[in-house]
Formats: sequence, structure tokens, C-alpha cells
Amino acid sequence: MEENKSFDWSTDLKEVPVREWEDRFVWVEESHVSPDGETIASIVNVEEGVFTVCENGETWDNEYDKAWSLRPLPDGKFAACVSSDEEWTLSISGDEWENWFDFIWDLQVNQDGSSLSLAIQKDMEYGMAVNDEPWGQMYGNINEMVLSDTGSVAAVVQVSPMAQADIEVFKQGIFSCAVNGKAIEKNFLNIWDISFDSSGKNVAYGVRLDRTDYTIVVNDIAWDKKFQSVWKPVFLSGEDSVVAPVKEGGKWALYKDGQPFWKTQYNQIWKMVVSEKTGNIAAIASNKFGKWTIAQNDQPWNMTADQMISDLFYSKDGSTLVAVLKDKGFWTLAVNQKKWDLSADKVFTPCISSDGKVVCVVIERQGQYFLAVNNIVIPNGYDFMATPVISPDNTKILQKAVKDGVYQRLIMSTDKIL
Amino acid sequence: MPNEIKTKDDSPVVKERKTDEAVEAGLARLTPERIKNTINQVLQKETGPRFKAYVETCMHCGLCAEACLYFLSNDRDPAFSPAGKVKQTIWEMLEKKGEVSIDFLRRAVHIAQTQCNVCKRCSMYCPFGIDIAYLMLLVRRICHKLEITPLYIQDTVNSHSATMNQMWVKEDEWIDTLQWQEEDAREEFENLRIPLDKEGADVMYSVIAPEPKFQAGLLYQAATIMHAAGINWTMPSSPGWDNSNMAMFTGDNEISGRIARTFYETAARLKVKRIVMGECGHAFRSTYDVGNRWIGWAMPPFEVVHALEFYHELLTSGRIKIAQKFKKTVTLHDPCNVSRGRGLHDMAREVTNMLCESFIEMTPNREHNFCCGAGGGVINCGPPYKGERMVNNRVKAEQLKATGAEVLIAPCHNCHSGLEDIVHHYDLNMEVKFLGDIIYETMEKKIYKPGE
Repeated sequence: MEENKSFDWSTDLKEVPVREWEDRFVWVEESHVSPDGETIASIVNVEEGVFTVCENGETWDNEYDKAWSLRPLPDGKFAACVSSDEEWTLSISGDEWENWFDFIWDLQVNQDGSSLSLAIQKDMEYGMAVNDEPWGQMYGNINEMVLSDTGSVAAVVQVSPMAQADIEVFKQGIFSCAVNGKAIEKNFLNIWDISFDSSGKNVAYGVRLDRTDYTIVVNDIAWDKKFQSVWKPVFLSGEDSVVAPVKEGGKWALYKDGQPFWKTQYNQIWKMVVSEKTGNIAAIASNKFGKWTIAQNDQPWNMTADQMISDLFYSKDGSTLVAVLKDKGFWTLAVNQKKWDLSADKVFTPCISSDGKVVCVVIERQGQYFLAVNNIVIPNGYDFMATPVISPDNTKILQKAVKDGVYQRLIMSTDKIL
Repeated sequence: MPNEIKTKDDSPVVKERKTDEAVEAGLARLTPERIKNTINQVLQKETGPRFKAYVETCMHCGLCAEACLYFLSNDRDPAFSPAGKVKQTIWEMLEKKGEVSIDFLRRAVHIAQTQCNVCKRCSMYCPFGIDIAYLMLLVRRICHKLEITPLYIQDTVNSHSATMNQMWVKEDEWIDTLQWQEEDAREEFENLRIPLDKEGADVMYSVIAPEPKFQAGLLYQAATIMHAAGINWTMPSSPGWDNSNMAMFTGDNEISGRIARTFYETAARLKVKRIVMGECGHAFRSTYDVGNRWIGWAMPPFEVVHALEFYHELLTSGRIKIAQKFKKTVTLHDPCNVSRGRGLHDMAREVTNMLCESFIEMTPNREHNFCCGAGGGVINCGPPYKGERMVNNRVKAEQLKATGAEVLIAPCHNCHSGLEDIVHHYDLNMEVKFLGDIIYETMEKKIYKPGE
């Protein structure tokens, strides 16, 4: 990421004592670390019914009746949902939004941190707010909220009332996809999995048309063909085209703009990722019951996992594809078809160098956290670790870890590890 | 008949078959062509050697009849025997190649959805182990596609599809309820938390939607147990928290699979080691056996621990200590999905004996126990069918009464609700409790410290 250039890559070690927080506060909640690793923060309980956030030992100016959903932001600040006198707002490192609501949740932050979105409820009506701007139109219910990289938001909203257990009204379709607060004038039984294109102007989503028929809708135009089921569609990078896994004849296939795309029919296929650089498409797939693999451009990997493949990531240059998977009871990674030897109780979100040559990830074994780099586990165990960062020149790793009550921001040279 | 019992108001037995507005509206929309095409599509495209083997293997011996609480509760009327139910539904559909009447379908949906708990007791009595529950679920699948599923259970499936929980619990209501219970529980444990979305916690605790909707006290109890036991746990703030799955019981396999996927992907997002679930039987069946397999997970991708197993672990490891055993006499109901389905019946007895001074077995018991009569989505068909359900549960009432116990432990939500109805209807004068209720009542209210 470009912004990583501004990080301090030259200071080997910086430390923040955190154990003393436990003496200062009644309790200290989970630790969160800023992307640049300079700040560690937690929600803290000051006294009965009084909460604030502690950043590197300094508390926010304001205290609240409740605080939850603390998140680090790309600019090094932190955001949390906070409540006073039974109203809720977002506080960004102590600065509150002007608007307060009856409830807020689902805090999302776009990639560059320019937009923060929330689901909001006021007077039992539902909508979203972006950067302190609530939607002008509120609805009967809201689900499936999405924030795009451009700051546009969308959600599934209930546009017609429904009496209790009124399945006839449900059958008529009471849900619509609302983009930036405006509901698209097309209702469906169900809507799931909204995707934005890169412009943030177009949306694609899966719908159920009636009891048994599903399809994909782009903005307000449904694909002609109906399917037994569908999963999340995605826009191809730099194109208007949409691809989606669809089920027909009991098998799953990938369709593009309503037409068959990949030739292979799978037992299951979902969670597509598209490399912006190469245009390659990869998806989690299964072509044998209980065996999971990755299909890239319709070519399955020569590797399977017997329990789960949970996530899939391309490096920025598209050369490396990393899968997080669970096999024979343990979690590990597979990189470009090769399963790592290491096995862990938990594997967190991997970090991939822009050239695809370095993959590092935090793992947990028997309660201790470790950093693993290119299949090598660094022996020192920690009490907690946050997602590492690789330097723009791919030569250093920023490790963020807590041990014996001290937070350490450590810069390590990849040469010394590999 | 031993332990002959009467209803509370001595009301006459309800014999007629009820229907409801959703079934009738659905039937009114059907055409012979749609009926025929739908039945044949399901039988020809969605079944395979398993179905063929069952159809060709059944010798019509009737041994399954003795297994069925509906047959036993209805004076051994063959129409209520498992084979009789198959004969009145799927066999006729097969024999007539889908050319069946509206009246036939009205009867078929009634039988499949309200006169079979898909409890699988009959499979143990069948000399060939034919899974008659599967055949009834196949009928439900056809009814789903014909849109003649009973009203109330269809509404729960609609809710699942729109909100990923079965009771139309809105996302803010879920989180707000957890925060409310957390605040209340701090009266007992001043630092207690219900940690939301704690990435990397060891345990994701999941419940069914009736808990936040009607039984928030169960969330309170679970939080106190987790806190006292020193568990590194979390609950998701997002959809995926509800482990129930009524779509599994209406034949809406597509929604059923979507529910299971959301559930496990929530656990994957939170990076937990395992999932502990509350005292619910069908949710266990959904996550451990049915929903996961429809998706393609041969086994659950995360270790799924039913509350029964979790309590056993907490008590035997000393993480939860009992201050004083529960004094009233108790008996224990074996929920089908975790007893016949998972084999937890002996563990349930060990937990009960660790908690209670006086435990009386009901007969039959363990994997041979009678179903509560509510499971398999039967209670979820709602008020129109409650009267019949009470009649169809007479043997369960007799079985319970014979124990003479003051308290009936039912470690499953559907069982608990169904047994409450039976206890009231037959005036059995028993309290129905979850194991969690008794743990909460009897546990030492202090936080576990290793070595203490």
C-alpha cells in the first residue's frame, strides 16, 4: 500500500507498557493496533457504567455509558460506537459525530479511510450514515450493509410493511436494494450479497424471485436466466461485466452477464476474488464432496483441504494467490497451490508483499501468538499480535505484538528471517 | 393402560385433521400439471440410490409402528405408523407418477409436517434401518416446492431467509439485547462482559433466535457461566449468531444451506477455535449433519460443542463448581438430535448426577426415549396444530407421569417448549428446566482460577 511509505521503517523497536492499564482501570478490553503500529488502544472501564478508550496510555477526553466496536483507522486514529443518555454516535479518537441515533452498529471503513459508515436506527426506522451524514430516507429494516471504496453505501431495506406471519405479503417482495439511501424500484423476496463496481456507481446482488427461483440483478436489471441458487456476484475489474456462482441442475457453475463463463461444473464454488493487475479470477471451490480447493480461471489447484478454505487473497501484482485453510484439524495457508507445512489452532489475515514474494501471517498455537513468514514460524511466542505490515520495498516486516505487559512495535528485516 | 392420564380440562380428544390458511391458499393455486411436474422433478432429479433402496427394501412388516409416538398415542391406529405415513404420502406419489389430487396433498402435508417429528426412532425398529424421516423430509421438500408448507413454520423460514435468524430479530435488537443482559449480569459479576466480535477468542457462543426474542434470561445465564468458568469467548454482532434452521424442516434446502454457510463463515471471520451452542437439538442437527453437508462440508469445519458436552467439560474440569446440589427430584428427557443423533445421552446423565441429588430415569430412555413430539418443526407449525400435538403426545405424558419427578430436564429448546405444553395439557405438575437453569442455580458464583 502506498501509505505504508510514510510509516517509520527505520526505528527497530518502540514499546508501550500496557500492563499498568490494568491497574488504572477496572477492566481493559481487547487490544487494537493502528496500521502504522504506532498506537495500541483498548476500550477501558473507568468505573461502574463509565467507559472510554485508552490510546498509548492516554484516555479520550470524553467518557461514555457504553462503548464497543473499537476499530483502528488508516490515519492512525481509532473509532468506536459510544453511548450517552441512551443515544449513540461514532467517536473518532474522542471527537464525536454531530448526529446521535437510537442505535448504531456495523462500523465499516473503506480502504483509504476517507469514508466511515454505520447502520443506524432512529425511532425504529433504519438506514445508514456515512461520515456523519444519515440517509434522507429511512426504512422498516436493514440488512447486508456494504461500503464501497469510493464511499458509496448500499443495503437491503424493507420497503413495505408486513404484518406478523403474513407470508402472502412476503411473497409479493418487500425488500429492495438501497444505494446511498435511495431504494431501487424493484422488490424481491430476498436480496443478498451486494457488490459495488470500482466506480461505486453500480451494484450487483443475488435475489430470490419466488419460492424456488434465484438470479443475479445488476442495478435494476435481472439476468434473464433463473437458477436453483446463487452466491455473491462480483464486477470484473475495469469492465462492466458481472460474474457470479450459480446453481443449475444440481451443480454450481460460474456465469458472466447471464451466460455460462467457466466450463467446469463444481459441487460448490464461492468467494471469488479478482486480481486488478492481471484480471485473473479465483474462487474457493469443491469438485469432490468434502474436499475443498481453489479454482483459478477454471483450473483447480493441485491441492485440497478437507475442512474449510475460509479466505483468498491476491498479491498486488497478481503473481501470488494465498488461501487460508483448515485441513486435518489445523489451520494453515496455501500459497500458489503449495500448502504450508505449519499447522496452527488459528490463522489470522495474511499480509502479502506487493511483489508476491513474501507472505507473513499471525498464527496461534496453544494460546500463544507467533509470526510466520514464508512457511517459517519465528520461535518467539507472544500474548497477542495484530496483523503485520510489509514495507513498500518488501524488505522489512512491521510486527505488532504484546508480551509480558508491553506492546512492541518491531521492524524486522526479511533477509534475517528467510 | 398404566398411568392412564387425562387432560387438564378433560377435553375430548381432537381427531380431525387441521389445516391453515397458507396450506389452503397454496393448494388453491395448484394445477395438476404443476403438481405432477414438481413431484416428478423431486423424485427423479433430487433422489438417488438411497431413495430407491428404501422403496425397494421395505417389506411392509410394520415393525416400525411400535417406535412411533403418534401410533402409540392414537390407540395403535395404523394410519399413524411410520410405514402407514409413507404409504399415504411418498409411495402414492411414486405409484401415481405425481398424478395426485389436492385432497391427497392436503393430507400429505399434514402428515409430513405435523405427524412426524423426523426423530428417527423408527429407524432403530426397522430391520433394515430404513430412514423413514428422510422419506418424510422428501415429502416436505415437495410441499415446499408446491408452496403448501404450513403458515407459521413458513414464516420462520421467511425470517431466516431475510435476516438469517428465525424470529425476525433485527440486527440492532440482537446487539441491544446482549448489551442489556451484560449490564444486568454485572449485578452479580461486576466485571462481566459479553464480548462482541472478539477476533481470536477460543469460543464462539451461539444460540437460537427465541433467546433474544423471548428468553433473554438464558443469555444472562450463559454469560455468567462463561464468565465464572474463565472462558475466552465471544458472540457475533452480525447475522450468523442464530444456529437454528427451520428451513431444514420444510425442505427449503437452499435457504438451509445459506444459513449453515453464514453460521460457519461467521466463526471463520472471528477466528475462533470452536463453537459452543446452547441447549438446542435441531440446531445441532443442522450444523453438525444437514446444513453443512448440503453446502459441501462433509463434517463441520469447526468443532461444534453442544451445551451438554460443554457443561460436562466445565464440571469435570472444575471450571464450574457446584455449591449445593439441586434438591428436587428430577427426570431427564433425551432430545432426539443429540441422543439418537449424537450419542450424548450418557453424558447428559453424568451432568445431571453432578448437579442433582435425586435423579429418576424415565422409561424408555437414552437413544430409545420417546420424542418430545415438538421437534422436527412440528411445534413450529404453530397454534392451528397444537390441539393435535397434545393428543399425539399422550405416551410422552404417560412416560413423564410415571417418573413422579418434580422437575423435568429438557436440554433442547423445542423439547422444552413442547414438554411445557404437555405438562400443562395433561396437568403433570412438573417444572421444565434446561440444564443451564440448574447450573446457574447451583453453581458457586466465583471466577475460576487455575490451581485453586
